[in-house]
Amino acid sequence: MSQVSLVAARIAALQQAGSALALLQATQELASCADASAAPVLVEVLGFNNPGAAVAAVKGLISLGPAAVEALLQLDPVNYGARAWAVRALAGIGDVRGLELLLDALGSDVAASVRRAAAKGLGQLQLDELPPDQKQDVQGQCLGALLAATSDGEWVVRYAVAVGLELLAAGLPAGSPERQQAQQGLLTLQEAADGTPPVVQRRAKLALSRLELQ
Amino acid sequence: MADADASPPQAGEPISEQEALRRLRQSEDSSQQYYGAWWLGRMRSQHPEAVPLLQQALRRRRARDSGEGVEENAVARNAARALGKLAPAAQAAIPDLLDTLQDGDDGLREAAARALGQLAASEAIEALCERLASGPAVAGAQQANSPRLVEPCEALLEALGDIGVNEPRVLAVVKPFLGHESPLIRSAAARTLLQLSGEARWGELLVDLLDHPQLQVRHAALMDLGAAGWRPGFQAIAATLAENSLKLIALRGLVEQGSGDPGDEALLAYMDTLL
Repeated sequence: MSQVSLVAARIAALQQAGSALALLQATQELASCADASAAPVLVEVLGFNNPGAAVAAVKGLISLGPAAVEALLQLDPVNYGARAWAVRALAGIGDVRGLELLLDALGSDVAASVRRAAAKGLGQLQLDELPPDQKQDVQGQCLGALLAATSDGEWVVRYAVAVGLELLAAGLPAGSPERQQAQQGLLTLQEAADGTPPVVQRRAKLALSRLELQ
Repeated sequence: MADADASPPQAGEPISEQEALRRLRQSEDSSQQYYGAWWLGRMRSQHPEAVPLLQQALRRRRARDSGEGVEENAVARNAARALGKLAPAAQAAIPDLLDTLQDGDDGLREAAARALGQLAASEAIEALCERLASGPAVAGAQQANSPRLVEPCEALLEALGDIGVNEPRVLAVVKPFLGHESPLIRSAAARTLLQLSGEARWGELLVDLLDHPQLQVRHAALMDLGAAGWRPGFQAIAATLAENSLKLIALRGLVEQGSGDPGDEALLAYMDTLL
């Protein structure tokens, strides 16, 4: 079977899946094709309220990389459940076209699991191919959002902010004011402030020690 | 800004600490008291009036009467939970919580037991052991007209683990619950024994429960391994079929409560991949 007809057959199988388990298997098979034409269908799966299949679809979308971004951005914004999975996929892909959605998710999503994915995602956008001034602008937006989220009410989001700040700071020029701000944010998380659990402090401390060695 | 398990017990606009104290202090509207008590715990209020007002709410609990409203007890339950969250600042409330542990309402006893555990109140060991002493067949039996157990066994067992005094009399009371018919109670008993003794066999029992077909049981075993900080369970936790959110909580427990292998850096590196 040619690749085109294989993908078409697997899409058809997915659309006919009659049970949660069949949907999961069909999603895994479609994801394993590693074919960009599968992206819109994998994005559709994100809205089916089937967590197992959504995990498989997110995995497949991340492995497609930038080729999956258009389909993810066309997602219906009122489908909340699907949007949460899309944030995870975009965070994993690291394409700068996902910036707006990640900023919005970290700043205002009600679910801590979505905010934590967005925080890590903002630290790992691939910016090397952007013109220098645009790169700096995007880094500034990521930094601002992550610093604001150092006071998030949920420990797991603050943990993810520490991870995001480390990743972001590693790509900022040593000695730049932005890098110093990122390190200042990590210092805040490292301090034994009220309600900051030891695991967040240790993660921030680890981030700072790695940045020192760079 | 909160997950489902951290959301307020009723819808409400954000309120100030003064407003929360005012709501708890008045006695016209018990749903306002309920919210005020919840708020003080959730926000970990350090206001000097918070603990005394919560103690007062505990004392205003009522004998349960199935025909009557039980609003006062709902307020008292939230007050007990809030006192646990305010530990260690709520030491003064330990005598009130010990009284509540003798209440006829098992929901209140459950909240009081958890709070005493969070306060690490060694004064409570004897009363907790007494409540459990009749074992799985009596204390752990189902109530006549309800799926609830005669005693809130899970909370009583976990409180003994949280208090953390490893004495033969405590171990003797806890061990029979390893044979309870409910895997949730078995998990609680294994967690407590692991916390008290550190013996690997109890950790291995919890690891076995991570394979249980019911998601609820896998969740409980994850939380229990986390609470005990048992690092040898790391690989099994990583391989469990459960949401990343739950694994992250368990791994936080391994980082904060545990020691030895795997080390902090390996645990943190794995947590990073679950975000």
